[in-house]
Amino acid sequence: MQSFFQTLVSGLSFGAVYALVALGFSLVYRTMGLVNFAHGAVLMIGAYVASTFYLSARLPFAVAVPAAMIVTGAVGLVIERVLRPLENKDFDLMLIGTIGAGTVLDAVAILIWSSSGRGVPSPVQTAPFDIGGVRIPAYNVLVIGVTAAAMAVLTLFLQRTRHGAAMQAVAMDHEAATAVGIHVGRSNAISFAIGAALAALAGALVGPMLYVTPTMGDSLGIQGFAAAILGGFGSIPGAIVGGLGIGVIGSFAAQSFQGYSDLVTFVVFTVLVMIRPTGIFGERTVNRA
Amino acid sequence: MSRRPRYRLVSAAAAAAAALVAAACSAPGSSQPSSGSTSSGAAAGPIKIAVVDAQSGSESDLGQFEWRGVKLAVDQANAAGGIDGRKIQLTLYDDQGDPTVGTELARKIASAGDIAMFGTAESAVTLAMAPILESEHIPNITSGQSTQLLALHSPYLFLNGPTGLTYDSTLAKYLVTTKGYKKIAMLTNNDSYGAGEDEAFTASLKSLGITPVATEVVPADQTNMTPALTAIRAKNPQVLFIGAEEAQSGLIVKQARALGMTAVIAEGAPAGTPLYMSTAGVANANGTIVSSPYLGNDVSPAARKFAAAYTAAYGTAPELHGAKAYDGAEVMIAALKACNACTGLALANAIRAVHYAGLLGNFRYNSSGVGIFATSIGIITDGKIKPAG
Repeated sequence: MQSFFQTLVSGLSFGAVYALVALGFSLVYRTMGLVNFAHGAVLMIGAYVASTFYLSARLPFAVAVPAAMIVTGAVGLVIERVLRPLENKDFDLMLIGTIGAGTVLDAVAILIWSSSGRGVPSPVQTAPFDIGGVRIPAYNVLVIGVTAAAMAVLTLFLQRTRHGAAMQAVAMDHEAATAVGIHVGRSNAISFAIGAALAALAGALVGPMLYVTPTMGDSLGIQGFAAAILGGFGSIPGAIVGGLGIGVIGSFAAQSFQGYSDLVTFVVFTVLVMIRPTGIFGERTVNRA
Repeated sequence: MSRRPRYRLVSAAAAAAAALVAAACSAPGSSQPSSGSTSSGAAAGPIKIAVVDAQSGSESDLGQFEWRGVKLAVDQANAAGGIDGRKIQLTLYDDQGDPTVGTELARKIASAGDIAMFGTAESAVTLAMAPILESEHIPNITSGQSTQLLALHSPYLFLNGPTGLTYDSTLAKYLVTTKGYKKIAMLTNNDSYGAGEDEAFTASLKSLGITPVATEVVPADQTNMTPALTAIRAKNPQVLFIGAEEAQSGLIVKQARALGMTAVIAEGAPAGTPLYMSTAGVANANGTIVSSPYLGNDVSPAARKFAAAYTAAYGTAPELHGAKAYDGAEVMIAALKACNACTGLALANAIRAVHYAGLLGNFRYNSSGVGIFATSIGIITDGKIKPAG
């Protein structure tokens, strides 16, 4: 029983990170109708920037992370601006454009930080919580808490603010949105920037749990993407549920199937998606073509 | 548009296409006389040697270490006059840690005129490249340590360190015979290095009459090792043997300690690197038992001299992989001097004939390409490796 809960807890901790990644995917899809394939690379940039602020500039972790989110959000703005001519014109090319942007970010990261990675010490030095033999590192609790807060803030933003509503209007019908005075380009820019900031948050938080390298975005991006699909692509609560789901499935697969855990995780994912193709909180797909 | 301009346009395009196809059809570099063949440029000009390693991707650290070690030795040799007045010219190729890219590079360096190769630091890539290098008669000194390399029986392949079996048998002997540990658990990954470690260490334990109390395998890119560690923790081992690369090993230790496991960590070469220590955290890495032929930069005057030169050149202190690469390069340089910059099988035989007292020990190559047959045991104390008492 103890081993069951231990496995569950570690699955939830990583699941929270996947949930943050999925949030970024879902947000950009929900407001722009675009699957952003640069998301994993943006996460990696966020992780590097945050660890640079934390380790080299010696800023407190709680300052380094928001600073990294702002810097990476700016990177997101640049990417959106570069791809803007393709918006509303050729959707597939824009998609490919994001793949290209990801490749550029990978190369830039190696230029700036070299291809060797860096370990990030945990900013929370308190002893792990021990509940009936199940050990929960304090930092993991922090990550889960921050993820929950991010989801709450994002939901409030989308539902209660003008900008949030505008972003969703653009996704539903960009011509009508323009007709009522919404600047589509600016709205998309904000959306992309927030998505990038979420990726940076995920990257910054996952740094102390793992190891920051130029390729870290690849597997985290795939897991987050799968999580977003599982929860319903475009759905904010779906991203959280999907992320936690992938994390927990992966954890239990690792326990029972050892070296084949990745295989099992994605087989389970495939079966679930075949049963319910639109995902758990399945939303109508956004039609931007 | 009338018919005639279009006809001209089409035939011009066809002619251009034909010219392009003709140009592309000549194999790159194969018919160039200046690629170091036996005609006029052979006895003059630089000695071209390739360095093939991961310069990107997750194994790029090892690639960096190897490149620096080789370059230091070659720069020193060139500064001292080179080989009969000829300088050694190194060209660095990125294999991205991918065996397929490695095979492409093997063909590329043959046609570029490189007469020898250093690398790679991953046995999987070296294994893929070895048959091509053998058919192209290019001697290769590699940092890989898998015993599968020996199974190739290539006269052109040489290891610059001991085999994985040597690391693990020395480690097992220390743990069981010297320290008397009985409950030993194993956690390895499923890539070629981890699988090799699993096999070698299990066999070493078996020869000492010990069966591991737990054996877990994780994928090589796994980041959450807690489920596997939870299963191991339940068996209460005294020692946890790890068979994974530097970063993953560090993560394993970090997560094991977070789970409250107090088992002693034991590992081969990866635990001797600064990368392992920074990923695990110094506090968690302390106490790790390391099996390594190069315990540190203070173990001998030669090591101190090497470390000083390396630090002056690169700004960071060297570790095992840089030292192995340096020794391998010194062996190659000694062989080139002995045979007057020969190539092909003659160079391979010259390497085999070299007796070299290196940082790792005394190199004396056998017919399988192994030159070093022992490692030492160290214990990480206060972030540094100290020889075990």
